[in-house]
Amino acid sequence: MAESFRRAPGVRDHRGAGTHLLVRAGEYVCALPLGSVRRVVRSLTVHPLPGAADELQGLAEFGGEPLPVLSLARLVNASPGANPSYPVTVVVWVGAADAREMVGLSADAALEVVELSTASIVAGDGGLLLGEAPLNGEVVRVLDLESLGRDH
Amino acid sequence: MDADITVPGTSQGERAQLGRLSRPTESALVGWILVVLLTLAGFVLLALGTPAGSPVWPQYAFLAVGLAGIAGYGIAVFPFFRDLERRLPRDLERWEILEKELIEASQQLGAGDLVRSIQHTRGLPERLARISEAASESLSLLAQQIQDSSIEVASAADAVNEIASELASGSSEQAASVVEITAAMEELARTAGQIADSASRQATLASQAETSGETGSAAVHEAVSGVEEVQKRISAIASRADALGTRSKEIYRVLDLITEIAQETHILSLNAAIEAAAAGADGRRFAVVAEEVRHLAQRSQESVESVRNLLDEFAGSIRATIVATEEGSKEASRVLERSRAAAEAIGELRSASGDTSRVARQISLATQQQNAASDEVVMTLREVSLVVQRMTGGLKDLSSTADRLNSLGLTIQLLAQSFHLDSPRSLKHLAEDWSAKLEAAPDMTTLEEILDGLAQTAQFIEMAYIADAKGHLSTLCFNRTVSTGRHLLTMAAARDVDMTRRPWYRAVKREGRSALVPPYESLQNSEPCFTVAAPLRSLGGDFQGVLGIDVNVTGWTRI
Repeated sequence: MAESFRRAPGVRDHRGAGTHLLVRAGEYVCALPLGSVRRVVRSLTVHPLPGAADELQGLAEFGGEPLPVLSLARLVNASPGANPSYPVTVVVWVGAADAREMVGLSADAALEVVELSTASIVAGDGGLLLGEAPLNGEVVRVLDLESLGRDH
Repeated sequence: MDADITVPGTSQGERAQLGRLSRPTESALVGWILVVLLTLAGFVLLALGTPAGSPVWPQYAFLAVGLAGIAGYGIAVFPFFRDLERRLPRDLERWEILEKELIEASQQLGAGDLVRSIQHTRGLPERLARISEAASESLSLLAQQIQDSSIEVASAADAVNEIASELASGSSEQAASVVEITAAMEELARTAGQIADSASRQATLASQAETSGETGSAAVHEAVSGVEEVQKRISAIASRADALGTRSKEIYRVLDLITEIAQETHILSLNAAIEAAAAGADGRRFAVVAEEVRHLAQRSQESVESVRNLLDEFAGSIRATIVATEEGSKEASRVLERSRAAAEAIGELRSASGDTSRVARQISLATQQQNAASDEVVMTLREVSLVVQRMTGGLKDLSSTADRLNSLGLTIQLLAQSFHLDSPRSLKHLAEDWSAKLEAAPDMTTLEEILDGLAQTAQFIEMAYIADAKGHLSTLCFNRTVSTGRHLLTMAAARDVDMTRRPWYRAVKREGRSALVPPYESLQNSEPCFTVAAPLRSLGGDFQGVLGIDVNVTGWTRI
């Protein structure tokens, strides 16, 4: 995951502009590009996989198909939060457009759909963290789900 | 005592008659001549009285018989008278000696000196001496008995006086005690009256307390009923609150359901927005709807949160109400328990007040009876007090009588002591015995030693002393066993006192024998005493002085 934040901070990244779904992962509010989001569902039942990486919680069943579920909090290095009142699993497309995969991201809550302007986004590390943008007095972490497919 | 004693047969006329009796023969001759003359006169008268012609031989026979009788009388009586005339002077001298002894004995007897009286009777004829000695001894025995009896009487009277005094003292104390007991009983009666009043008031108060207890018991019972009703109401409130709690939980479940629906709606709106975004421009209007649905879901969630908060407050209030009702129920239970205990206590108090009232009435009745009994006791004690006072007066009279009897016994004793008896209890005998011992002293030192020894011989002797022929006190010795050592009369002070004026000195010097004076107050200890005194003579019988012995009356009566 350290490689996903390779880009130097303070550099504008115009790829993050557009409509995003805000989700909460621990103490962070993350913005997922709405085009990569397939569905938001109540937290799916996850079956852990032995020997899997830490961020991979396991496999869940979605639409009759096995769905790998990643912990968004782990992905953004958030500290584990308190028991969320209504956890959700966000089914997203990751990876390049020609080789995208559908994974589930477990989050503490799905907040809302927002528009993020390009000017407001400060470039991230070039990995998963595309950049950061202020929103309603709070810093939102804009994630690059394509990079997630490349790293994994 | 020594001048005017008259002995029968010793008067002057009788002495002249005795002188005439010293010539018996002449008297007998004169009598004989008178008889002859009377015989002749009878013959003449007989001759003259005989009528003429009567025989004359009786006249001559009378004359012859008369003359023969006269002659025979002369022959027979004349020698007797001659012999009588010869013996009469010798008998007269003896008679005079006897007369002198008899006079001495009588004088000694008259002076009460039975010892010397008996000594003088020894010179009398045997029969007369025996009679006189027997009479003197009888008189001596009588005097001794009188002395002993008088001492016993004095001692008994003294003892009676002492006992009567003690009894009178005890009776006085008893009278005082009876007075104190009477006062105490009166106080007791007064206290009993106060107790009766107090008990009566207590009975009234207890009766009032019983009535109040009944009222209080009814009030407490009402309070208990009220508290029970309150407890029921509190229980109903608790039940209602519990029901509200149950309903609140149902509301919570409904809220949870609504929340879940809102969440689902929220997710659904997000998914709709996702789908709208995927639809591109066609989905823009749908996206708006989805956003509105999301807002609606959010407001629903916010409303649910508001309701939940209100419901929390409501539930908190209900819980507080339940807690309060539980505490109220517990408090009501405690109040109920206390009220029941109070009701029970009031019941016991009412019962106790009833018992107290009854007991107080009994106490009042008993104390009234006690008061009446105390009054009777007080009356009886007053009678007893009068009796004791009379008894005290009687005992004082008895003591006074015993005192008088003691004085009388002492007087009799002193009268009896006026006799000089051959007895150790005869003070005169004692004094003369000691006087004889002192007369035998060769010098003054020996005399003082003898006198000092004599003064220590008996407890009843206070002191012994010697006054010389001029009436000056020459020797004075105190009885050290009874003397306090503080002598009011000292030798130096007494040396210049003229003892010739003292009755005992004058009596001894006048009578020449021991004397005893009536009691007087002793100079040594202010106790009654009397003095017995005896003369001191030289070997030639000359008066040399007087031995005086002061005898303590009390000590003397105790011997």
